[in-house]
Amino acid sequence: MPTVEIDPDELRELTGHEDKSDDDLKTDLFGLGLEYEGETEDGEFELEFAPDRLDRLSVEGVARSLRYQYGDARGVSVPSTNSPDWTIAVDSSVPDERPYVTGAVIRGVDLDDDALDSLIQLQEKLHATMGRKRAKGAIGIHDLTMLRGAPATEGNPTIEYVGVEPDGDRFVPLDADREMTPADVLEDHQTGKTYADLVSAYDRYPAIYDDIGLFSFPPVINGRRTEVSTDSRDLFVEMTGTDQWTIDRMLNIVCYALAARGATIEEVTIEYGDDESANADSNGSRRVAGGRELVRPDFSTKTKTVTHDRIETILGIELSSEEVIDLAERSGLEATLVGDGDGAAEDRAYEVTIPPYRVDVLHPLDVIDDLGRAYGFNDLEPRYPDVGTIGGRHERSRLENAVRTRLVGLGFQDLLNFHMISEAENFERMNLERGGSGAGKADSDDTTGSAETVYGAGEPATIKGPYSEDYTMLRTWVTPSLLMVLENNTHRRYPQDLAEIGFHAEVDDGENTGVSEGRAVAAVLARHDAAFEDAKARLQALVKSFGGDLETPPTDHPAYIDGRTAAVVIDGVEVGVIGEVHPKVLVEHDLEVPVAGFEFDLEALR
Amino acid sequence: MQLPSAQVAVLETASADEAQSVDALASATDLPPETVTGAVFELEEAGLVAISEAVDETITLTEEGAEYAADGLPETRFYEAALEAGADDDPVEMGPVIGRSGLEGPQVNIALSNYARKGYGVIDSGEVTADPEADPTADAERAALETLAERDEEVDADSLEADGGVLEQLERRGLLERRETTVRSVTLTEAGVTELMAGVSAAETVGQVTPDLLTSGDWREAEFTEYNVEADAEVVDGGNVHILRQTAERVKDTLVGMGFQEMEGPHADADFWINDCLFMPQDHPARTHWDRFALERPTHIEHLPGDLVERVERAHREGVGPDGEGYNSPWDEDFARAIALRGHTTSLSARYLSGEQIGDLEPPQRYFSVEKVYRNDTLDPTHLLEFFQIEGWVMAEDLSVRDLMGTFEEFYAQFGIHDIEFKPHYNPYTEPSFELFGTHPTTGELVEIGNSGIFREEMLEPLGVECDVMAWGLALERLLMLMYGFEDIRDIHGTLCDLELLRDTEVTY
Repeated sequence: MPTVEIDPDELRELTGHEDKSDDDLKTDLFGLGLEYEGETEDGEFELEFAPDRLDRLSVEGVARSLRYQYGDARGVSVPSTNSPDWTIAVDSSVPDERPYVTGAVIRGVDLDDDALDSLIQLQEKLHATMGRKRAKGAIGIHDLTMLRGAPATEGNPTIEYVGVEPDGDRFVPLDADREMTPADVLEDHQTGKTYADLVSAYDRYPAIYDDIGLFSFPPVINGRRTEVSTDSRDLFVEMTGTDQWTIDRMLNIVCYALAARGATIEEVTIEYGDDESANADSNGSRRVAGGRELVRPDFSTKTKTVTHDRIETILGIELSSEEVIDLAERSGLEATLVGDGDGAAEDRAYEVTIPPYRVDVLHPLDVIDDLGRAYGFNDLEPRYPDVGTIGGRHERSRLENAVRTRLVGLGFQDLLNFHMISEAENFERMNLERGGSGAGKADSDDTTGSAETVYGAGEPATIKGPYSEDYTMLRTWVTPSLLMVLENNTHRRYPQDLAEIGFHAEVDDGENTGVSEGRAVAAVLARHDAAFEDAKARLQALVKSFGGDLETPPTDHPAYIDGRTAAVVIDGVEVGVIGEVHPKVLVEHDLEVPVAGFEFDLEALR
Repeated sequence: MQLPSAQVAVLETASADEAQSVDALASATDLPPETVTGAVFELEEAGLVAISEAVDETITLTEEGAEYAADGLPETRFYEAALEAGADDDPVEMGPVIGRSGLEGPQVNIALSNYARKGYGVIDSGEVTADPEADPTADAERAALETLAERDEEVDADSLEADGGVLEQLERRGLLERRETTVRSVTLTEAGVTELMAGVSAAETVGQVTPDLLTSGDWREAEFTEYNVEADAEVVDGGNVHILRQTAERVKDTLVGMGFQEMEGPHADADFWINDCLFMPQDHPARTHWDRFALERPTHIEHLPGDLVERVERAHREGVGPDGEGYNSPWDEDFARAIALRGHTTSLSARYLSGEQIGDLEPPQRYFSVEKVYRNDTLDPTHLLEFFQIEGWVMAEDLSVRDLMGTFEEFYAQFGIHDIEFKPHYNPYTEPSFELFGTHPTTGELVEIGNSGIFREEMLEPLGVECDVMAWGLALERLLMLMYGFEDIRDIHGTLCDLELLRDTEVTY
């Protein structure tokens, strides 16, 4: 689970509760759903965070939530903003794949080492979560005093978001001491190599210019010229990405964090070029209309209408309107009653205001969850629902159970093996060829033809880019797993009579998913005198129990000894194979005892 | 006193003054020696006889030894041939001597190596001389062989007039075998004499119940030979249901008892059913390559219900309800059609809720499954790449979080886990969502035991469900480890399992 590192002293300072002990804080944080996982070398708390509340990825956001919990803050709080001075102009050369930008100017920050660390951590955590590792949104924070805005028409300072040829310009990136082109950065710079995949397929790379030149190469790296330090007082925050909403929300979270440290937020104008509408992005129609002008950050709140009835049915308790409004305010929301406050629950509803740093409220149900948290879910009394239904097992599950009971009665140790296997285990080590066909039964009147595939040799469903060479496909039959268990247990007592009613699968174009999945009954007898007859004795007892008619006409199968192999035919249908395992297969599995066994389709017993 | 007949016979034949061997007793009583041995031990245990043991050595000729006893030792035959060739005067060539002696194969070497040892002459540079003074008839080895051959049976070593050195030499040459046997001699003890004088009679004992014994009615009079009932018996393992399967069955029984019906469905399924129907955004980190097992073959599902695809896409893009919002994430049907091994069995819940699996469902309903799921993780003592997930859901007209809490308390109480805590949590397809924590039945620690919540409307509305559905999931292996205290799940589940553990684990119920 992802964690965020929070300095408890900063938390005390930002909440104004200097007297809280570490243990008190841990309990209060658990109440927010932030679980204490441990401590860093510097004594910071490592907290596991829930991936919905991305506004709590820094100490400032966690402190805000605690203040609501303590009752020190209530309702929705929106920082005031100053009118825009700076403009980000979006040029038509910007790569189509990454057309969006947003930004804000922050004035009067007091960045000590802790505050700077916190800002860097917030940036990293936002990249990792909402930013989808910078693919969807990337943040650049710059020292404003190092920027020189080119005067635009109205005389406001302007920076420009453009597309640049991979070798079209040079700048000195962070953590470097020489000028590099964007292409050089992707090739030679450590950070550049990490994020090269995000842009390397673009014709032009994203770049941000001021009057002096290129100072940011999003989403890869900033330039050294505008690097932020503890001496920085005014900041320029820019974000680029593939979705305007996403970067705007990331910007809000960053602005709220800096406002909590006393900074003033100043708006920025975003000017999209005229030809913007000509481009439709791959995702459909979300593209901002051309020539559009935005003012950011967008601190507008949104509202959700929540009915009183729904709140009561979900929480399972009765509440007064005053209680609902109180719970909302303690959650950092604001609820206004619409309709008749004294009327029936069905007629009452609330307009609930959601602050702009919340990214997780998609539906009125999310508001109810907040109310429940503020109420305290663990204070609710559990009750068993008064709902009558009839229970029952699936038919296949009952059949499996009945067959398993019979197998155990016949002396088998029941097994549970993995469904994933390697091709070597499934085929080669069983002396079987993938897709191999048998010789066919000489006297067979089977109309499916003589070139029928050998049992277990079907086309396997294979895993794409397997992570382990031991698990590359779904097993096409179960016996290989049993042989593997025998191989791993040669130091254990014999006889080893093992059985598994197990899943197996193969490619089948006739199925909707393209895979036919089945259950097979597989059994092996490993003992000093195991022979065909021992396996058949048990097979016939099993088949008889289920009213089946068993025949075992001779057949060939490369995993078994010629002349000691038969097809399992139940009620006239060939459904499996029985035989003495071939010495080649035994030796391959380091076995020093004979093994006889059978495997057939569970459905044959139905 | 009454004793088994064999013991009575031995007791009556044994003497207090003179030790008698078991063989002697056997021939005197006309009983098989092993019966007599058994009786003697029983009597010794009862303090009626004393046993003394002596080691007896017997000797028999090997096949080779018998041959030499008949034809003469090879070195003797070689000496005689050398004399005939005139080697007592001058050295003669070895080849003709060998030919004359009639020796063949390995016997030649045997003859040559013993020739000088016995002082019959010298062999040097392929020439042989013979010492005319030598006397093969006085050879102790030859004498011993002939004596043994004449008796033609096992011979008591002490009765042989040969010193130990000769016998050892012959044994080294592989011409005879010496065998040590323990001879037990029996004498009556004082208690034995006393009992005998008081009178001992035979009791009829029976070794085994036979059909004859039963039909004849003799069993009425029979006394059964006593066994040593404390002796260890042969180890029999027998059949046994896999321990994880036993746990799964117990879970299934519990859920069926609570009114749940069982679900089943594909392991390899379209991402649409695994994720999209669950309102999981397509760019969610859990949907990246690294967490899942996508299939290379087959790659895509053939058919998805078109109207459902449309509704699901709309929920992702626009949300559900008048105030709903969608994700600001891309959505692509081709991505949804990709086939993967399911990462949770909530894919089954989606199929059932949609009506695709068994037709439309009307509330109330309860469904469950205990089936495999597949997740790419690092294999370690608590993580497997495939494991069983317990999945359960309840569909009804107004369900609250209190109903959810009450259901789980009942379920976990069946496994001895009480005082469940509900930690509010985030999950893309449920709201509210809770992680469930319970107190470990033996260690008392607080451990995570499951995940739960009420399905979001963004999931239910496209599936056509118009009432509430609450659901939860839990790894079966986690429940197993809590119940049994196992430390490494790899010993249990999979081909690395330890048969001894599976055979010997204590049954719980």
